[in-house]
Amino acid sequence: MNVTVMQLTARNLLGRRRAMFLVILLLLLLGLAMLTRWASDASPNASSVLANGFALGTVLPLMGLLVATGVIGAEIDDGSIVYMLAKPLRRREILFSKLAVGFAAVFIFAVLPTMAAVVIAGDEGGQLMLAYGVSAVLAAIAYTAIFVTLGIVTRNAVVFGLLYALLWETVLGGYVPGIRAVSVRQWALSVAERMLGSQANGWAVTSEVGMTTGLVMLGLVTVAAVYLGVRRLRTLTLNSIE
Amino acid sequence: MSTLELVGVSRWYGDVVAVNDVTMTVGPGVTGLLGPNGAGKSTLISMMGGFLPPSSGSVTLDGVPVWRNTEVYRSIGLVPETEAMYDMVTGWEFVLANARLHGLANPVAAARAAVDQVDMMDARNRDISGYSKGMKQRIKMATALVHNPTVLLLDEPFNGMDPRQRLHLMELLQSLAAQGRTVLFSSHILEEVEQLAGTIEVVVAGRHAASGDFRRIRKLMTQRPHQYTIRSSDNRALAAAMIADGSADSVDVSSGALAVQASDFGRFVRALPKLACDGDVRLLEVTPADESLESVFSYLVAR
Amino acid sequence: MADNKAAPDAAATPEQSQGVIHDIGFRHYDGPRLGRGWIVRSLLAETFRGVFGFGRPARAKIMPWILVGILLAPPLIFALIAVLLSLDALPMSYTAYLPGMQFVVSLFVASRAPYCVSRDLRHGVMPLYLSRPIRRNDYVLAKFAGLALAMFAVLAAAETLLFVGALLAKLPLGAQITGYLQGLVVAVLLSLVLAAIGLVIAAVTPRRGLGVAAIITVLVVLSGFAAIVAVLLTRAGSASLGNYLGSLDPYALVDGIAVSWFGVDSAFGRQADLGLAGGVAYAVGATAIVAGGIALLMRRCKKVGIA
Repeated sequence: MNVTVMQLTARNLLGRRRAMFLVILLLLLLGLAMLTRWASDASPNASSVLANGFALGTVLPLMGLLVATGVIGAEIDDGSIVYMLAKPLRRREILFSKLAVGFAAVFIFAVLPTMAAVVIAGDEGGQLMLAYGVSAVLAAIAYTAIFVTLGIVTRNAVVFGLLYALLWETVLGGYVPGIRAVSVRQWALSVAERMLGSQANGWAVTSEVGMTTGLVMLGLVTVAAVYLGVRRLRTLTLNSIE
Repeated sequence: MSTLELVGVSRWYGDVVAVNDVTMTVGPGVTGLLGPNGAGKSTLISMMGGFLPPSSGSVTLDGVPVWRNTEVYRSIGLVPETEAMYDMVTGWEFVLANARLHGLANPVAAARAAVDQVDMMDARNRDISGYSKGMKQRIKMATALVHNPTVLLLDEPFNGMDPRQRLHLMELLQSLAAQGRTVLFSSHILEEVEQLAGTIEVVVAGRHAASGDFRRIRKLMTQRPHQYTIRSSDNRALAAAMIADGSADSVDVSSGALAVQASDFGRFVRALPKLACDGDVRLLEVTPADESLESVFSYLVAR
Repeated sequence: MADNKAAPDAAATPEQSQGVIHDIGFRHYDGPRLGRGWIVRSLLAETFRGVFGFGRPARAKIMPWILVGILLAPPLIFALIAVLLSLDALPMSYTAYLPGMQFVVSLFVASRAPYCVSRDLRHGVMPLYLSRPIRRNDYVLAKFAGLALAMFAVLAAAETLLFVGALLAKLPLGAQITGYLQGLVVAVLLSLVLAAIGLVIAAVTPRRGLGVAAIITVLVVLSGFAAIVAVLLTRAGSASLGNYLGSLDPYALVDGIAVSWFGVDSAFGRQADLGLAGGVAYAVGATAIVAGGIALLMRRCKKVGIA
């Protein structure tokens, strides 16, 4: 980890209009949580639907994407990353620093708000908040790693990322059962399902896979993404020819 | 003292060849990389800076390969062509961050020296996004100088600079070269290269068209007619002697001076003083009329 | 460069100091010049072509055509299903198909709208356009029309494929023609509304990557938000209000228009009958989005100087 890389990355990430988007997304989620509480009398079930469908299903991957473009995509796009790469720093160090900043941002702007939304919308003794909190953390780690690496591999990172996060996980997953098992969200949910035990079903916290499979898959995907990211960053070619 | 060495370097993108079998050695002093737009200058600099692997051949700095070797950046300073920097910070913060990224022992002092060297102390606390093109260029220079590199690679450094800043940068580069550093810059503007570079490397359409001192290159191209403007005490007598001798192809006496065209450079240069001496003509001025880099260059490009 | 050679005595070399313009064959253009209308048309055509990556390297064609492919594949499958199961209607109605594919449609707008405007704004190309006999508003209208037309071409192609599939499956013709026409109206409305939203967001986010992310975020979050609000309000007993607020989602808005104009079933399963008031309100809403979007774009382009 390199503090200077982290500082530059964080300033780039939170500068300009991106920060505004992050905050708007966060506020939307909290607003919806209040509405849910009002409309369904703070029932944990409705709260869980909100956390599962909107927070984990939409806000978290979108936040991951927005953050990933801010952490590395934009720099590669405009070529300013050359200032970081033309230094006697290990590329691994650069990537890890950027991942750390990215994860911190997703944590602040998506994971904490998800937990807050659950509390606002309705909870029972903090169980739901804790379960969704852990799931969201796990999903955030995987999404950050995947999307940051995607940002290094292709300039169309945003569109490919969205195709995966929204089309694959949400739309196709709705029709083709097999696809649902190959999904960061389902893997992360498996942990929440286990944590809630017997209450999971009643609160509509169900995953397509068991917790062991979920955790193994999350770990594999994250490690693979980071490994690929380091490799690609090491051989990243920069040329001013556009 | 560092030397960049390119041996048989080619780079192609699909079936487009950007750089074709280039072999050159860039040593201490200022070297100008000259060529028209799209000649492959940026590709060459990218390869020298370790941001692009050569498709074939090797690029080494003092014998060590540059590609995938981040340690070379301890001795290389890079001024990229891209305008984009980290806009959210001030010039000072940016140079300081670069010093820190280099892991220097005293980053603040190094940054101060670099910013001072490019004459940006007064504007150092303003946001980079508010800088003019020339100021951005100078801050980029400062980031490349901050770790006191022995090799400096500059991609189109004079773009967007006004004449005063241009002069200042030229002086700076020359003083860096005088300290024994290897300075390579690319340009398609001949005036800059002519004023600044001791050595030039000319690339045309991806090929290494010429290298060395540009006047020497000019002499090498003997098949090309050379033009001189000569003033003497007796223009007509000298003209007659030159034509009779056969050392000049044509002589124009219509204006106040002689306009001479000679295709055999060596012979003409040897014959002229002899003819003047024999004919008792005093030479007042002998000026090569087309010895500018521009004409060398346009000749190479048109070939 | 010439000055250091001509230096000591310029009069001695008059042929060097007198300027000469050599005739190397350039000719003046005396023919008619094409005017404003032609420029607008060219700009429109260029935008339209650019959306699909025509006239640009292969790399620029990948994204739009993947999305077009994804959008055009299901109609073929639907036709196949209709034939195999010998249904008497398509598995998904003409008006419901596009809202059903909203992620893909959103992705298409999000990936293409920034291409249309953000590069011009970011690289300061606007003054080049404006140095021709064209007005700022012409530029905005041409860009808007170009993107909206391109959107319509894609959406209408999907509808047409549905129709062709239905004909091949020998479904009853009358109902299919009505459905097809209704589907085309939905396509027109969606293209206009989405192009307006996409361009406005793209114009305020000049970095391309952020522009894409911003548009998709707005569209997806609006849908998700609107859907949840609608469900919650309906459950709480105020279905009409739920329907109106549910139309914050542009797809639901267009769907609402189709429901109230044509009496088709809502693609979103919204039940409440809003009647005439609903039809008028939705139409006003859609018009407001398009008009407001264009107005915002014109304002944004007014601020673009030489910088």
